[in-house]
Amino acid sequence: MTSAAPSNPRGIFDRSVKGATLEPVPVQIERGVIRFFAQVLGETDPIHFDVEAARAAGHPDLVASSSFFVVIEAAADEERKRRGQPALLDTLKCDFRYLLHGDERYFYEAPIYAGEEVAFSTTIVDFYDKKGGAMELVTCESKVVHPKRGLLVRSQRTLLHRLPEPKG
Amino acid sequence: MDKINLKAVEVGAALPELTFGPISRKTLALYAGASGDHNPAHIDIDFAKKAGLPDVFAHGMLSFGVLTRVVTRWAGAGRLREFGARFVSITQVHDLITCKATVIEKFEADGEQRVRLAVVATAQDGRETLSGDAVVALN
Repeated sequence: MTSAAPSNPRGIFDRSVKGATLEPVPVQIERGVIRFFAQVLGETDPIHFDVEAARAAGHPDLVASSSFFVVIEAAADEERKRRGQPALLDTLKCDFRYLLHGDERYFYEAPIYAGEEVAFSTTIVDFYDKKGGAMELVTCESKVVHPKRGLLVRSQRTLLHRLPEPKG
Repeated sequence: MDKINLKAVEVGAALPELTFGPISRKTLALYAGASGDHNPAHIDIDFAKKAGLPDVFAHGMLSFGVLTRVVTRWAGAGRLREFGARFVSITQVHDLITCKATVIEKFEADGEQRVRLAVVATAQDGRETLSGDAVVALN
C-alpha cells in the first residue's frame, strides 16, 4: 500500500484513488482509425496509411503513429463506459474547466498494428501540489499489452488543475 | 526513409525542421475526432468562455504528435525507443508551430547504439510550447 496523498483544501482531484489501477480493457486497433489519426498529424510515411507500403516495409498491416497511444486510451475509456466502469478522468474527478496536461512520455517496446486487439490499463501513481496549492498534479502510468507479443508501449503522464481562487 | 546515414550522426546535429499550422478550429475538431479526446475546452467555444477562457486552445497532444514526426520521418517510427515532452505553454488557435530536434547524446543501451535528441516546439512569436527529448536506435 502507498501512503495517503497530502490534501489541498482547494484541490479538486479525488486523492483517495492514489495507487489504484484501472483494470485492463480490450481495444481493437482499426485500420481506418490509424489512417485518420496519421492524416490529421500530417504523417508522410506510408506505413501509417498504405497497407501495401506497410507490408513492403516488413509489417503485417498499417503501423500506428508514435502518439497513437491517446487513441487507444480514448477507446479504452469508451469500453469502460459500456461496462459501467469509470474512465480515468472520471476516477480522478477531473474538472475540464481547469484541467491541463503537464507532460507525457512513451517507452516503445514494439509496434502497434492494425487488426490487433490490445489490453489497456492505467495506474494512478501519485498526487502533489505546486505554487503554494494553486496547482495540483497527478501522475499516471499506463500500458498497452498484446496477448502474444507482450508490452508494446508504456506511458507516464502528469495532469494538473489550475485551481480557481478560493471564494472569499 | 532509411537513406540517411544514421551511424554518421554526431552530437550537435540538427534534424530538418517541420512546421505545422496555422492551427485552425477545423484541425482541432479533426484531432478531437481522430484521437477520441473530446475535452470541450478544445472544440466548444461556449464551454471555454463559460470557464473564463478567452477561446478554445489546442490539444497538447496534437503538437506532441507533430513533434514526434520530426524524429520519426528522419529515423523511421520503428527506431523510436522513447519520446517525452512537457507542455510548457498553451498552444492557441492560429499558432504556427515549428518543431525542431537536435542530437544531444550518443550512448549504448540494450545492445543498441542510440542517440538522445532534444525536441522543442515553438509558436510563431518564439513562445516555447513543448520541450522534451527522444531516444532513437541507430542500428
